[in-house]
This record gives sequence, C-alpha cells and structure tokens, in this order.
Amino acid sequence: MTAYLIRRTGQAIVVVFGVVLLTFIMIHLVPGSAARATLGTRATAERISVFNAANGLDRPLAAQFVTFVKQAAVGDFGTSYSLNQPVSTLIAQRLPRDAVLLGLSTLLTLAVALPMGIFQAVRRDRVTDHVLTVVSFVLYSMPDFFFALLLVAVFSVQWHLLPPQAPQAESVGGILADPQALVLPVVTLSLVSVAGFSRYMRSSAITTLAQDYVRVSRAKGLPERLVLLRHVLRNSLLPVITVLGLAAPNIVAGAVIAESVFNYPGMGLLFYQAATSKDYPILLGSTLVVGVATVVGSLLADIAYGLLDPRIRYVDA
Amino acid sequence: MPPLLEVRNLTTHISTRRGVVRAVDDVSFTLEAGETLGLVGESGCGKSMTGLSLMGLLPPGGALVGDSSVALDGRELVGLPERELRRVRGNDIAMVFQDPMTSLNPTRTIGHQVAEAVLVHRGCTPGQAADRAAEVLGLVGLPHPRERLKDYPHQLSGGLRQRVLIAMALANEPRVLIADEPTTALDVTIQAQILTLLADLRERLGMAMILITHDMGVTAGHADRINVMYAGRIAESAGTDRLFRGMRHPYTQRLLASVPRLDQDPARQLPSIPGLPPDLTAPPGGCRFADRCSYATERCRAEEPELTGTDGSDGHRYACWHPTSGPLPQHAVAVAPHPDVVPAAAAGRPLLEARGLVREFPVRGNRLLVRGRRVVHAVSGVSLALGPGETFGLVGESGCGKTTLGRLLVGLDRPDAGTVTLDGTDLGHLRGRELRRRRRDLQMMFQDPFSSLDPRMRVGSILREPLRIQGIGTARQQKARIAELLAEVGLPERGLELYPHEFSGGQRQRIGLARALALTPKLIVADEPVSALDVSVRAQVLNLMKRLQASHGLSYIVISHDLAVIRYLADRIGVMYLGRLVEVGSADDIHLRAAHPYTAGLLKAVPIPDPAVERAKHGTGISGELPSPVDPPSGCRFRTRCPLARERCTHEEPALRLFGPGHTAACHFPLLPALSNHAANAATDTSGH
Repeated sequence: MTAYLIRRTGQAIVVVFGVVLLTFIMIHLVPGSAARATLGTRATAERISVFNAANGLDRPLAAQFVTFVKQAAVGDFGTSYSLNQPVSTLIAQRLPRDAVLLGLSTLLTLAVALPMGIFQAVRRDRVTDHVLTVVSFVLYSMPDFFFALLLVAVFSVQWHLLPPQAPQAESVGGILADPQALVLPVVTLSLVSVAGFSRYMRSSAITTLAQDYVRVSRAKGLPERLVLLRHVLRNSLLPVITVLGLAAPNIVAGAVIAESVFNYPGMGLLFYQAATSKDYPILLGSTLVVGVATVVGSLLADIAYGLLDPRIRYVDA
Repeated sequence: MPPLLEVRNLTTHISTRRGVVRAVDDVSFTLEAGETLGLVGESGCGKSMTGLSLMGLLPPGGALVGDSSVALDGRELVGLPERELRRVRGNDIAMVFQDPMTSLNPTRTIGHQVAEAVLVHRGCTPGQAADRAAEVLGLVGLPHPRERLKDYPHQLSGGLRQRVLIAMALANEPRVLIADEPTTALDVTIQAQILTLLADLRERLGMAMILITHDMGVTAGHADRINVMYAGRIAESAGTDRLFRGMRHPYTQRLLASVPRLDQDPARQLPSIPGLPPDLTAPPGGCRFADRCSYATERCRAEEPELTGTDGSDGHRYACWHPTSGPLPQHAVAVAPHPDVVPAAAAGRPLLEARGLVREFPVRGNRLLVRGRRVVHAVSGVSLALGPGETFGLVGESGCGKTTLGRLLVGLDRPDAGTVTLDGTDLGHLRGRELRRRRRDLQMMFQDPFSSLDPRMRVGSILREPLRIQGIGTARQQKARIAELLAEVGLPERGLELYPHEFSGGQRQRIGLARALALTPKLIVADEPVSALDVSVRAQVLNLMKRLQASHGLSYIVISHDLAVIRYLADRIGVMYLGRLVEVGSADDIHLRAAHPYTAGLLKAVPIPDPAVERAKHGTGISGELPSPVDPPSGCRFRTRCPLARERCTHEEPALRLFGPGHTAACHFPLLPALSNHAANAATDTSGH
C-alpha cells in the first residue's frame, strides 16, 4: 500500500505540474493584459511598463514560469493585483468555506442519488422509475444559475422561507451557525448533480441485481431489504466511486456559478472575479488548488475502491 | 402420510415483451425423504424454472398459474405470504446453483455469507452462526474451515467455491436440496468430487434431492428416478435403470443417443435430433416433440398425449402416442464420412510441427521492483506434430494451458521459446504481409457462439470479412463464395442478411465454422467447439465438423475438456497437465491403454450415461485441484495429486517414454510397461519434449 501511495503521489505531482503549465500558457495566450485590466484603459504606457516590471511581466514567459514554480513550491503564489493580498492568504481564507459548501452538497447529492438509483433499479421500468427518470433529467438539463434563481424566486421572494444570500461569515463556524442561509446554495449544487449519480447507480444496481449471488442470497431466505443492503449496495457502489473521484472539477465548476449567484465568498467567487480582472496570480493559484483537488479525489476513489472490493489489493512488492 | 414434497400441476408463466412464456406446463411429481430425483433436459425445457418455482424465486414477470400446488410435508406453499415463504427458503428447501464463480458475493467473506444463512433462520448470536458456518464448511470438505472463514471468494478455486455454496445451502439442514447443474461449470475431476460429496451428504443428512442437469451421465450415477423434460412438460418419468434401459419416449431415446460416449464408435455419425425445441410463447397444439420426431404422425400433431403409465409396474410414465422401446441401437446410425488418415510420421513432412514451445506470462503486480519476477508457466516445453487431414485432440483441466497452446499454434501469440512450423515454414520468422498471407492456412473456431460473432454485423459481412482482408476474388466471387459456405454448414441462404442474434447457439457455431472455412485453411484450431451447446445440437455440430473434414481434407486441433468429444473427433490425443503434454497417443491408446495415471484418472472421472457403470465407480483416482501454474510442483508436476507418487517423483522430472507406436507418456511409475527407457525422443521426434 505504501509503495502504491508513493507511486500515485509521484504521478499526481506530474499531473499537477502539467495542469499549471497549461494554465500558464493559456492565460498568456488570451488577448489583453493584466496591466490594462488592473490600471484601467486610460493608463499611460509608462505606468504599464512600471506595473509590468514590478510584477515581472516584462521577462520572457519561460523565466516567469520558472519563478512561479519556484515560489509555488514553498507556498508563495504571489500577490493579487486587484486585492493587494498574498494569494496564499486568500486561498487559506476561502478554501475552508468551500470545503463546507462542497462537502455538504456532495453528501446531500449522494444521500439522494444512491438510494434513488437502487430504488429505480428495483422498480425498473415501472411508473415510479419513469417518473424519477424524468425528474432527474429535468434537473440535469437545467442550467445551474437558472435553477439557483428559480429557487431564490420561489423560496425567498415568493414565500420568504429562506434567505436569498449565502452566509457571509468569515469563519467556518460562523457559516455553520447560519444553516438557513446555506440551504439554497447546497440544494442548488446537489440537485443538479443528483441526476448523474442516480443514473450511474441505477444502471450499476440493475447489473448487480442480475448477478447470481443476489439470487443465492434470496434463496437463503434473506428479506429483500437485507439483500439490497448487504449484497446489492456495496457491489453497485464500486463503479460509482470512480465517477465520484473524477467529479471534483465539475463540483468546483458548479461552485463558481452558485457562489456568484448566492454571493458566497469562496474559491469559486474568487476565481470568477480574478478571471474578469486578469488577476494572474489568483488564477494560477486557484487552478493549482483545483488540480490538486482533482488528483487527490481520484486517488481517494482508488483507495476507497480497494477498501470496498477485496479483489483489489495494492500490493507493495 | 403425505410424501415429503408433492408437486401438482405446476404451471409457471413468465410475461415478457414477446408474450407469455409457458416455461413450466402442468408438471407433477413427488419426492420422498432420502431420494434423488433427476430433472433432465436441454436448455429452455423448464427444468431450472421448475426448481425456481418450488423456491418461489421466479424472475420478474413470472407467476404460478392455474391450480399449481407445491406441498412440503402436506403444507401447501403456493399462495403463502412472502414472509412465510422466506422461512421455507434456505431452511426447509435450499438450492445450489450452477456457477460457483458468480454465485458468491465478491465483497463479503465466505464465513459471513454462510453464517448469514444461519442467522436469518435461527435465533442465534453471530458467534454461534460463525461456529455453525465453520462446522458446515468442514462438512463439505473445505480444509481448515475455521481459518478460512475470513477468506474472500476470489481466494478460492471454483471447486472450493462450489463447496462453500453447498455449505451455505446445507447450513440449516434443509429437508429438500435442489441442485441446479451443480457441476456444469467445473472440471470433470472436480465434478466427480462434488457429486460424491452431494450423494454422501444426502445419505448422512437424510435429505431429499432434486438434481437438475443436462448431462445424462451425471444423472445415471446419482439419481434414483428421472424426469425427462421437454418444452416445459415432463416427457417421461421412470426409475433410473428403467429409463436408461427401457425408455419409451422417442425424445429420451434420441437425447441419450446424441451424447458422445467414451465407448462411441468414431466411425459412426452421432444421432442428432434435427431442428430446435418449440417457442414456448406459442407451444404447438399436439405433442411438443412431434416436429423433431421421426415417428410422428398426424395424431401427434393434433392431439397432445397424456403422461400416463401403461407399463404400470414401477411408476414408469411417458407422454407419447407411438412409444419406442429401449435405446437406439448403434448400427441404426449412418457411418460417418472419414478420409484415410495419414499418420504424421508416415506422411513424411507433417503439416504442422511444434517443437519445445514455451509461453510464460508475468504475474500482474508491481513492475518497479524487478526482483523476484513471478510468471505463470502456461506452456512449458510442448512438442507435437500433425499430419494433413489428421485431428489432434488436446485435453486437460481448465488452467492446464491448452488454450494458450492453441493460440501459439495458429500464430495468434508468439512463444517465448520453441518453434511452430507450418508446411516447412517457421511461423516465428514471418512478419507483416507474409504472416498475414500465411494465416489463411490457420483458422480458429471459438467456444462461445454468442461473443465470437460481432452482433452488429450481418452474417454475410461476417463471412465475407476474411475474404476482403485477404483480398480474395472480386465482389461477385466473394458473394458466391459466402453463399456456398453457408449452404455447406447447412444454413439457408437468406441467413446472409440476418444478424447473429437471430440464430440459435448451434446455428451460430455453424456460422463460426463457415467463417473459419472461408479461406479454405489447411488447419482449424477449434477451442471447445461444442461445450456451449445443448446435447442434441452438439451432435449436429460434431457431425458437421467430421463431414467438412472429409470433404476438405482439413486438419483439426480440437481443444476440449470433454474426453468423449475428443474421443469422437480425434485420431490422436494429447493429455495436458500444467503446461506439459504428459501423454500422447492414438485415440485408442489413450482410452484403452492409458499409461499415465493422470490420463486414467481423467477418464475415470467422466460420467458415463449408464447407471450400472456409474454406480460401480469408486472415487476418481484424482484428488484435490490443479496446483498454481505460478509455482508448479518440482519433479513431476502431477505428483501432488497422483495416487502412485513416490519420493522419486519429487526430485526427478519424468521424461517422455515410448509405450507403443506413437504412444508416449512422461511418468516414473506408469500403468503400463514402457517399451524402452530412453527411446521416446529418438523414435518419435514429433512428440518428444
């Protein structure tokens, strides 16, 4: 297991490096410059060259990249042009808030999608299955921002049940202290991704239900509830876990939208603002964070897979 | 007193999109304690569905209809609420299923899975359930049961898994055990062990057993009475001896005759049953077998015969208007066409020659550490030769390397050492275009007729593809050729426009054979050509293979675990064990004068469809299971399972020795005297090691 983890970590470093390199190149390929975006369209050529020199933007791209990597290796992602704060501080502030929002919504997604998938598999091709299929496709095909606004319109504007804005507290504790305000952002993020997971779970559970060992467990006289819980659930989860591990980027992408709509001061909002103001250090820093999250996500999925399926053992030698 | 199990007018309907399938139609029988009832028939005859109906485990859309009744000890089970029925399942009536590889949950330990069966029916603690699990696992012959409770299914071999499944079924000492093809997925040697175990357990626990199988040989030795099923109904029911000696239903007669037997005369055709069983969504009005029966008359097509006992004596009943009496005599069958075989040695140059073939596969694992690289020794030094028009049969248990050897011989895989020579050309030296041209002479026929044909290609395109790839003939010529091919394997020309799923298994295997023939090869390697087929269809395909060999002068290498099939097709036979050929000889040498204890044990393990012969058998001679090909035993690889093994077998690897013309075996203590100690390699350079 240790050797396996070391090898996977090595792979992860290569992947993250590649992601950062690509982001770096793409940022600089896009027309427009950080100086113009930061200083405004009427800035003089002199001020722009001073800005560029101060931020090292006048040096060759390769040299800039080397500097960035060197500093990033020790946790220094530079200073934001527009917010005048170190990027690492900004990320440290906001990442925990995302952990709360994304963690809760992922939990909710799974809590809805997994039982729903199994339920649909059991009632395959019956009316309930068809109804749930339609519902999940409607949710799936709805743009996140539209769905968010719809929820706001109904629950905040119409019925005054829930606040339209996410918690604005600085600390994680403060955010959790305001659960009402968390409901709409979490629900938005969850429901749009429920469909994907419940479809996977449904087809995976249909495959499992057809397995001989399910018939054997029924032949033992096991009640259907235990058949599903002990023999169908775990085996059907296996393929879903892989998908979950790879879903990290989608979850983050969803967060960018939801955070903008609900004004939640997380990484998504930070990224969105940085993208519009060409704040290179923030863009690179957050890309790095998302890249690492994705790689870690798929690593965790592999480990979970090994724990759930005894046939898979990551041998050391 | 009522019988232990009484089944009356059992009728099972399954609603599907195609319509209502009458899977089981008006089946009645009784079963007494301590008795074994065989349910025999081909796939789709309703035998498994009868078992599932008794358990109340019907597939979605399935239901018992009419006045179906299943009474256990006088208690009616049909119509019981699910909760009550669950108490019967796995407690009073238990079931063992066909495929041990897929019948255990891969993510739970075997201890858990066996204990679960106990826990659900007995009010005991998990600890007590685990104790009981260890106890029954010991009962079914799992070595060190207590330590193995924590094992996962993938850590056990197929034979051991089937033992675990039997333990699971026996955990609550059921009164009736339904065994649905319990040994079909296992090797003959393991099959014999499991069948003996079941018979022994039935005796000890005083259970009644329903043995569902397609294999007449299995029922011959283990059933007291047999119900032969056809198209959802019982066609004939009699005591085992009576059924095998004096069957009255023509279906029973043909079914038994179409099984290739070890003592089969290979010169005669196998009596196959023409056609296919009827579609059970719309069963024919009269006798269901009428369309395939050679005795059928107008009456058979109009009126359905009752299952009645005109013989009165021992409850022998059959449903037929024109009953026959007794088995089909062998001389009634046409002589199979067969070319004059030229033995490899006499023909001068053999068609195909393999020398010292070795193939090893690295065991999957960490490739960072090269130290201690482990390999599977799939083929370890095999040499053989094959003459034109000859059939070489390769037999052995699964995992012995026969399929790998087959792939090496047709050039689908390259050996790590050794050579394959076709018509004097070394295949190992051919590359690219030359190799591709040469492949015309070497074709393959596969086991699974469902996965070996592309489901999205029409049969015409499937047959034409080899011609296209090899660039043979114009489009018009190719079209003519594929029509000819289809006719040759006995399929109608309109079949060219159809897709594979529109054919039955036997028909698909014919298509596979036609595809192999498309390039007029010299050699066809057939890997388990009939093991996925039903008995009656199997005979059709075997006859076809023989006929085509005669008309095309083909050579075959037939790979099979079924000794009777090999016996019927092959001129010479090679017995493989853990990557080595342990014995090679003519079909008669192997069957009548086996020198190697493995060959003898293998032959003894084959169930013979003759109750007297089967019951006279004691044990199999081969104990245990195939060792891992990663660490084969030192010296003679068979020694760990050999009843004759001695000290010498551990240290010294036996060389092939000569036992007769062209008959060699590698054993220190053979069952026959060797002709000469070291003559093997000199005398038959063709099959030495």
